[in-house]
Amino acid sequence: MSDAVPRETDTLQRLRDEALAAIAQAGDPAALNQVRVRFTGKRSELADVQKRMKDLSPDGRRALGQALNAFRAEFDAAYATRDAELASAALAARLESERLDLTLPPRRLRPGRPHLLTQVEQEMLDVFIGMGFQVAEGPEAEAGVYNFDLLNIEPDHPARQEMDTIYVDGFDDVVLRTHTSPVQARVMTTQQPPIAVVVPGRTYRADSVDATHSPVFSQVEGLVVGEGITMADLRGTLLAFSRALFGEDRDIRLRPSFFPFTEPSAEVDVSFDAPGGNHGWLEILGAGMVDPNVLAMCGIDPERYSGFAFGIGIERVAMLRHGVRDIREFFESDVRFVAHF
Amino acid sequence: MKLPLSWLTSMVEVELSVDELTALMSLRGLEVEDVHRPGAGTAGVRTARVLHHQPHPDADRLRVVRVTGDGGDGEIELVCGAANFDVGDVVAHAPPGGSIPGMTMEARPIRGVTSHGMLASARELQLGDDHEGILVLPADTPVGIDLTEVIPVGEPVIEIAVQADRGDHLSVLGVARDLAAILDTTWTAPEVPEPAPGPTIPVELVTDGCATFATWALEDVRIGPSPPWLAQRLTQCGMRPIDVVVDVTNYVMLELGQPLHAFDLATLRGPSLRVRESTGGEELTTLDDQVRPLVSGDLVIDDAERPVSLAGVMGGLDTEVTPDTTRVLLEAAVWDPVRIRRTSRRLGLESEASRRFERGVDPQGAERAVARAAGLLLELAGATATGTDSATAAGTPAWAHRERIVLQPQRVRSLLGVDDLTTEQQAALLARGGCDVAATAEDALDVAPPSWRRDLTRPADLVEEVARLHGYDAIPSTLPQLAVRGGLTAAQRAEREARELALSFGFHESISRPFVGGEPFAGLVPTDGRVVLGNPLAQDASAMRPTLLEGLLQAVRRNVGQGRAGTALVELGRIFRPVEDDLARALDATVKDDWRWTDPEGGALPVQPRALGLVAQGLRLGDDWLDVDDRWSVYDLLAVVDTLVARLAPPGEAGWDLERVPVDREGWHPGRTAALHLRGTEIGVVGQLHPAVAEQRDLPEPVVAGEVLLEPFLLAIPREGHPPVPARTLVRHPSMSIDVALVADDAVPYASLEAAVRQGAGTLLDGLWWFDEYRGEQLGAGRRSVAIRLRLQDPDRQLTDEDAEAVIDRVAAAANEIGATLRR
Repeated sequence: MSDAVPRETDTLQRLRDEALAAIAQAGDPAALNQVRVRFTGKRSELADVQKRMKDLSPDGRRALGQALNAFRAEFDAAYATRDAELASAALAARLESERLDLTLPPRRLRPGRPHLLTQVEQEMLDVFIGMGFQVAEGPEAEAGVYNFDLLNIEPDHPARQEMDTIYVDGFDDVVLRTHTSPVQARVMTTQQPPIAVVVPGRTYRADSVDATHSPVFSQVEGLVVGEGITMADLRGTLLAFSRALFGEDRDIRLRPSFFPFTEPSAEVDVSFDAPGGNHGWLEILGAGMVDPNVLAMCGIDPERYSGFAFGIGIERVAMLRHGVRDIREFFESDVRFVAHF
Repeated sequence: MKLPLSWLTSMVEVELSVDELTALMSLRGLEVEDVHRPGAGTAGVRTARVLHHQPHPDADRLRVVRVTGDGGDGEIELVCGAANFDVGDVVAHAPPGGSIPGMTMEARPIRGVTSHGMLASARELQLGDDHEGILVLPADTPVGIDLTEVIPVGEPVIEIAVQADRGDHLSVLGVARDLAAILDTTWTAPEVPEPAPGPTIPVELVTDGCATFATWALEDVRIGPSPPWLAQRLTQCGMRPIDVVVDVTNYVMLELGQPLHAFDLATLRGPSLRVRESTGGEELTTLDDQVRPLVSGDLVIDDAERPVSLAGVMGGLDTEVTPDTTRVLLEAAVWDPVRIRRTSRRLGLESEASRRFERGVDPQGAERAVARAAGLLLELAGATATGTDSATAAGTPAWAHRERIVLQPQRVRSLLGVDDLTTEQQAALLARGGCDVAATAEDALDVAPPSWRRDLTRPADLVEEVARLHGYDAIPSTLPQLAVRGGLTAAQRAEREARELALSFGFHESISRPFVGGEPFAGLVPTDGRVVLGNPLAQDASAMRPTLLEGLLQAVRRNVGQGRAGTALVELGRIFRPVEDDLARALDATVKDDWRWTDPEGGALPVQPRALGLVAQGLRLGDDWLDVDDRWSVYDLLAVVDTLVARLAPPGEAGWDLERVPVDREGWHPGRTAALHLRGTEIGVVGQLHPAVAEQRDLPEPVVAGEVLLEPFLLAIPREGHPPVPARTLVRHPSMSIDVALVADDAVPYASLEAAVRQGAGTLLDGLWWFDEYRGEQLGAGRRSVAIRLRLQDPDRQLTDEDAEAVIDRVAAAANEIGATLRR
């Protein structure tokens, strides 16, 4: 029986060589697993060797046990190394297979865009809000009293005719508001000074549609009433606004004008520098000190309080800032226009 | 108002260039719109005397003419097609090398005769529209000098925009006076002759609508064309020369701002005049040969027997000056602006005269104006003056009355924010503008504005006058000390958020003109009621939109027309309904606060709440991606509406869910449309367009649309906003998911099924999702099985299978109560 041990040792040596070769040759995790079953499973030659161990002498069992352990350690190490190699190769293959061409444009699932008029309106409002203004609103189908009378535009005043008013049928005196100024009257008749509001909204004139005229347009109106409010305050407010909207290098100038609800009244121009060294002025809004008649009619003491008001066309600001040439484009809802800004 | 420079500078001295002048005018209240130069391009044209003319040897209609040359010497031969001149006449000769507008002269043969330049007509020189013949200058015109030394051909004509309150700017004199104030210099009015010694004809004023009625009587008037200088000025100002009498009345109106009228004195019966207010029921044929019915309140002038003039608006045909007229009664009167405006508006007859009267003429200018016109006719028409008269109203009529004004100089300083504008400076500025200024004991200024400034009636008007003449550029820039807390209200922020939510779902914002015509597509709470416009701009814009959907559908159609494969648009805006519309009842039921806009007396204005409209059509992603079958559906719109409601409603408050009630409505798909109810009242609608309507509107299907009122949500937001959202406790124990399927008739809406599930799950429920709907034979027709996944959790412990069983049992029981069964 003494030659049994060397024989089993030889068998182990052969199995070791075969197993290491098989591990090295295994090309994927499944093949590697088969190697493990073939060399270390219940029906493997190794199992046969282990079964035969009980027939050996104690010394022979010890010697063979050591050989078996050595085999097992060497097998497991080689197996783990190969297993890691295969996993790494598989991951590399997956990563390669998952390569995307990110130079392609993305899927075109995009949020919508706010209309340019909304963007400009909100930007204008936010500038004034930053200066301490609140925002007020009013109806578009408006009582003539608010649109005209309380703003010092008497029924026979030429200004009333020049406003190209659109009237609403079936009422005594209801019009589509010709400006956002009636909200001034609504605010002043319900609120005592100090008042500082801006009023955005849609306004209407009986104008035929062309590139520069629209029967529907939008304004931001401003009103400040308090003690000691001056025309210098008006100028400073509009200068701050113009610089915020058009650039810090801009200047403004005021020219005398006439509005029934302000006295003194002014048209306000903002400076521009065009390419080629052209310097000039563009009219952007009308403004003035609130007429004492308007204050008094709205229940505010003109001896104690003074105020200023201004009205800015949102389309005009948008056209100047963005170079929109045709006012009709604002009201056509062409997605090419809306999504562009 | 157009102002020929030579005319203007005849009354005020100006040492500025035209560019400097117009720039300054615009900064001081004389807004320059344009500078015209009629006749510009005229060069080298000189006056010449006709020495000889004879018919062209080879052309019937042409003459061969010899005229004087440069300096009046020599002879030059040319060919001329006109025949309105004779030997000895002075004409305008454009010699070779010279030019008239659009044409440079050279010597050239005309039918065998070399023409050295041409004789110019008034029309060719843009001096008038007379092209019957060449321009013939007065016989005493110097010969051989440049034409522009005789007539300022091509001079600048400054056109200004006249403000509604500055009637005084409607004349050359008025602008000259204002320029003198601006430039701090003096002005001069044209000289007028002394009054004629005798009277004219009796004039009686029986209305306070006339303050002054001044007349001159002239005889031996020779009616003929006006001289070139006068015709030029009328032409420069945009009026057509007619004959010397009409032209002189127009000329003086432009010059002094006072409209005049000339009667043929021989046709006036009496002769006498009576100025009165019509009581209606009569008529007058005016100069333009129109029969004008008069109504009570019209101001008219009668002769002894009949109306002969519609005062301040237009004269009568029967008494107008004709080529045979020799005796003329010139009249200048001052009329009540309001009555003139009423008459001219009613008749749609805005004349140069009525424009001026409406804005107020200088009540002290009538006598000067009629004398000026008489003077010109004495000079230009060989007339003799036989009488001068002026009737005035007894006492100043109320409309003409003006009080002195007390101005507080400190008030001027504080209102303008210009601290260093002294009382003396203010007084001096006002005096420059023609005011009579006196100091009062209390350091105030006592001011009488000049008669021609009808706009200066209150201290505020004087503040502007001081500021204007001082220059608006002297006003500094300061920021007001605002004692208010600025910012958007919570409701205003919510409105912005509503828009942003819709945009985040892929809808672009649309803004449409809110007009409709015909039969618009019916949106929420459909109605026939319209807010109709009294003077609509077009048939298809006859009323205000009752819904946002019509405008959105038209906008989508325009995008389809551009070849877009899909379009999604949202609009936020007001919709308009009559006061008593069903929509008003919906608002009454769903809005706590007063939602109506009213006039000051509380009278209701049209219903005009804010709404949000959505329309989506075609492909969601366009046709340039792989998902070419991903189309907009009603569920997409419901997702927007649900999210919107979740964000706008008071957090945690019950009763703000929108119930979806299937409806069958005209224009909509009968099986894919639901009204949205808030606490039982419709405030919105969502659905798909009926295929027939989509086809009729040329919109490729599917087209889905939805509209919801924002007012019930926005008006429920307190000024300070809804209370802060309280934090929720995040459960740390794992949650458990279970699925249940409920079978019910179609009549049982999903909302009831969900309510049953919620009731069954009780406090363990963290969330639930509908995930499947199944129909099949084994369920029976009109029934479906709805599968819902529940996520359960308990803050204090991990849930077990027993918990799940208990929930399922309770859901089964709750389902039974609403007529549904749990599928086991």
